[in-house]
Amino acid sequence: MNEAVRNPAKPTPGPTKGPIIEIENLSISFFTRKGEIPAVMDFSCTVMPGEAMGIVGESGCGKSTVSLGIMRDLSNIGKIVGGKIKFQGKDMGELSDEELRSIRGNKIAMIYQEPMASLNPAMKVGQQLMEVPLIHDKVSKEEAYKRALDMVRSVKLPDPERMMRSYPHQLSGGQQQRIVIAMALLSKPALLLLDEPTTALDVTVEAGIVDLVKGLGEKFGTSMIFVSHNLGLILETCDRITVMYSGEAVETGKIKDVFDRMRHPYTQGLFRSIPLPGADKNSRPLISIPGQLPLPHERPKGCNFGPRCHHFVEGVCNAAEIPMIEVAGHEGHFSRCVRFNEIDWEALPPGAKKVNERVMPGAPVLKIEDLRKYYRVGGSEVFGSSEGRVVKANETISFMARESETVAIVGESGCGKSTLAKVLLGLETASAGTVTLGNTEIQSTGIDKRSVDTVSSIQMVFQNPFDTLNPSHSVGSQIIRTLEKFNVGKTVADRRKRMLELLDLVKLPRAFETRKPRQLSGGQKQRIGVARAFAGDAKVVVADEPVSALDVSVQAAVTELLMDIQRKNKTTMLFISHDLSVVRYIADRVVVMYLGYIVEQGTTDQIFAPPYHPYTEALLSAIPIADTSVVKKHIVLEGDIPSAMNPPSGCPFQTRCGYKKLVPDNLCETKVPPVKHLGDGHMSLCWLSDDVLAKMEPVIKFDKEHAAHEGMPDDASHGDGPGFAGTPPKRPRGKRPS
Amino acid sequence: MPVQYISGFTVVFEVLSRFWPVWIALVIVMGASFAYKKKLALYGQLFDSGVGIVGVGICLFWLFTAIFAATISPFDPLAQIPIMKDVLPGAVEPQSGLTYLFGGDKLARDVFSRMVYGSQIVLIIAPAATGFALMVGITLGLPAGYYGGKIDTVLSFLANLVLAFPVILLFYLLVTPGIMDTPIPYGMAGVFFLFPIIFFSVLFWTRYKNRPDRLYILLGITLILGGWIYLGLVFDKDPLHIVHIDPNQLNIFVAVVFASSPGVFRIVRGLVMDIKTRDYVAAAQTRGESPWYIMLWEILPNARGPLIVDACLRIGYTTILLGTLGYFGLGLAPESPDWGTAIKDASRLLRSFIHPALPPTIALMSFVLGLNLLADSLREQSMKD
Repeated sequence: MNEAVRNPAKPTPGPTKGPIIEIENLSISFFTRKGEIPAVMDFSCTVMPGEAMGIVGESGCGKSTVSLGIMRDLSNIGKIVGGKIKFQGKDMGELSDEELRSIRGNKIAMIYQEPMASLNPAMKVGQQLMEVPLIHDKVSKEEAYKRALDMVRSVKLPDPERMMRSYPHQLSGGQQQRIVIAMALLSKPALLLLDEPTTALDVTVEAGIVDLVKGLGEKFGTSMIFVSHNLGLILETCDRITVMYSGEAVETGKIKDVFDRMRHPYTQGLFRSIPLPGADKNSRPLISIPGQLPLPHERPKGCNFGPRCHHFVEGVCNAAEIPMIEVAGHEGHFSRCVRFNEIDWEALPPGAKKVNERVMPGAPVLKIEDLRKYYRVGGSEVFGSSEGRVVKANETISFMARESETVAIVGESGCGKSTLAKVLLGLETASAGTVTLGNTEIQSTGIDKRSVDTVSSIQMVFQNPFDTLNPSHSVGSQIIRTLEKFNVGKTVADRRKRMLELLDLVKLPRAFETRKPRQLSGGQKQRIGVARAFAGDAKVVVADEPVSALDVSVQAAVTELLMDIQRKNKTTMLFISHDLSVVRYIADRVVVMYLGYIVEQGTTDQIFAPPYHPYTEALLSAIPIADTSVVKKHIVLEGDIPSAMNPPSGCPFQTRCGYKKLVPDNLCETKVPPVKHLGDGHMSLCWLSDDVLAKMEPVIKFDKEHAAHEGMPDDASHGDGPGFAGTPPKRPRGKRPS
Repeated sequence: MPVQYISGFTVVFEVLSRFWPVWIALVIVMGASFAYKKKLALYGQLFDSGVGIVGVGICLFWLFTAIFAATISPFDPLAQIPIMKDVLPGAVEPQSGLTYLFGGDKLARDVFSRMVYGSQIVLIIAPAATGFALMVGITLGLPAGYYGGKIDTVLSFLANLVLAFPVILLFYLLVTPGIMDTPIPYGMAGVFFLFPIIFFSVLFWTRYKNRPDRLYILLGITLILGGWIYLGLVFDKDPLHIVHIDPNQLNIFVAVVFASSPGVFRIVRGLVMDIKTRDYVAAAQTRGESPWYIMLWEILPNARGPLIVDACLRIGYTTILLGTLGYFGLGLAPESPDWGTAIKDASRLLRSFIHPALPPTIALMSFVLGLNLLADSLREQSMKD
């Protein structure tokens, strides 16, 4: 029922020149207690030698199942129920277990999300690497060592000999992932499967891995299947893309075709819900996809996306199962939508076009001055050893947040942002400095000593939606408990009424009162988390990566919700994040942290335009942006974030900074730089002189003669609405011509 | 007058038919559980696997046997009928015409009746002692895991001390008559039985502090009920003379609680250390909840899975422990029908008569096996989703 997506330039089949892998109408089901659950249906794709195919989709769409299916590594309950996988022309279904084993790890290698799970913690890295040629190629030990060492060098790890001698736990996450990649490449595979290889890593480390992966195709001629939820990453690494939704491929084609002229409403919905440069919380808010992913056994008839699609037409979209339909004018571009020629791709969904008034920040609510937080570590409790080291988690933190302002705190893991949140909320007390909330100093009052008023006026939204609600209590009782704690309402009935109002506020049905958290989706749980934080009319809400664990389409909805409530309540929001795209969209002011220091702060416009702090510049460059018209300056930081236990001397960033040579007298390595005022409250912690700063170029630029418009078919209209396809994006908010 | 025997087949048939109240109860309970398994959460899921059904079945079997012991057993477990000394299974007692189904032991008592009554002792002491051990372990394990630091160091050290001491030796010490005459057992009972009262009082106090209407009722019930049982168990001064425990049994009880609470303590401590890193605990802290509220209402409910499994296994261990104690003749009265004492009695004459030893051994084994199967299946089902 479905045309396989073939490369038109496909030569006659043969093991060398033909496609590396051909998947035809693959269907995979899991057989559980509740019966058969189809996980992947009718999935087809072809990967040519040296080509990189990206598979993108939200959690539960079946993208990982496809990659496991290729490896034939479905657990005992998973089964391929239909279709064929041909690897180098051979049908893998007909191979014996023996033959499959010789293909796995030898011709097809897989790289998983969690590097530590793929490495044996009890073996030295070198031994593990040497095993690959020893087993697969039966070479001598010396030869194996030589090959392993060469490979460690080619994945750009520093000090390869030392790496070979270390145990996996002695390496950082980024280094571990490089070792895993090296191990996969040692057997010279024809196909590399990467399942979210960078999701567990920090942004600047991710950029390094992406850089490495990109070169693999050219250097080793390896084909890749890159599974990710991040459209930006796919854009940077792949040649072609397949978008999956609810177990089906819904659109596939060349990166440029799909990104600039998508022909499936789901793909468009995805692009509209991620904060690309050009989105603006006031004039051009994000548009989220309504509803949620259908459960595998509750999929609708016809188009799976139908119930959430605003182009849905009764009797057309749900009449029969929909095949992949070729898009005219593009090679290899297919969409699983029957109406893509009738849809006005510029039209916004009804009710989506809204313009919010810009809220002016009011009086300062939260003032932090010279805050420090040191931890003493080491020394055993029992036999009280006197040796202990001091970890400086926060150093000289000073900033201010006004009423109804959003201040973003940006930084990677270990930068001290979570410690800062803990001090603000009273879970820890500060070592020095002051934190003023309203008129009271709260830096040294722990949570148990704070008044109910103070406690309820500074609250938190947590990162992990699966962890933020207690799985043992019903949703309603958890909110009511919070109200009780904050002395809201006098009677039980009062509090219940208020709880129902809060459910309305976060746009959840009142019936959720009696639900247990496990019956809720990630986005719904996060909404409950928001309701709980706002239960006591909080003045300051600390949101710790509130959307980073959510799916793209849900992220937009939760972000909008947070901002709506903030607007209504005039709340001050501290938005902790590592994702600068979201930060640019949501924040009024930005604070960039690195290793406990604030390295740069200013308004969003100031931060996203030169002059930058070198770290901010690297962060900006590291973030994958899912927009083909964006040209980024390419900066990849070397090394990893130093440990807070053993910080570098002088400037915290000096070990990775590319500008160090421009500063005279080796100042960077000896002295902590002074805070440099760049005007209008823009501050930077850097030794760089004014003329170097003035010469900095913007990291993100738009290519005016955007290449995607070459060969644009006639049916793609050039509107100037906020649709993404075919419209050159406006310059992002905050970019001033420099 | 020679003793008459009935055939082996009739013995089997008789045994099965004597258990009739157990079969009826089993059919009703298992049938109902099976019919409503969708609504019974974890308990209902047990009925999805063969192992679970067998486990529940065996445990319920012994539970109902203990309940209906008086109906099932044909004889008084302590009655001696001289003519029946060491008779083989299937011997008919001439006066009443009833059969010694599993034969008679060296004191001419009915082995079958003793096995049936033995289940009563095991099924009262083992779960109750495990329950108290749970209370003690939880109440001490929660703060040790949650606060860490000095409290943890001290409590863990104490737990290790108890765990490091040989269990049998410990029992010998605790249950020897010399020690039994001192106030030590009663003192320990006084301490251990205080824990449930403290536990429930703190549980209700932390939850309903701001809602006096509920708080006073619940606290009142806890204190009155707890105090009443406490008076009866520890001081034997129950004004209504309902709650009473033999000094011997109290001793065993205390010894078992003492030996198994460190195990529970360690499990709870480990679970708490894991769960306290969750965001919902941080959320509770940021809204200013007291530490004991967080421990009892945020952490403990989420530790229940492993604790239930552990409790099942622990009842099994305790049953074996009771058997061991009985075997050494510790604690319980020498004529008591409990399985351990019965095995000890029979083992003296094992070479000449094997039949008095088998029924209590098989009973003990099957009950522990049932509990282990139940625990296994619980663990498997709770891991599934």
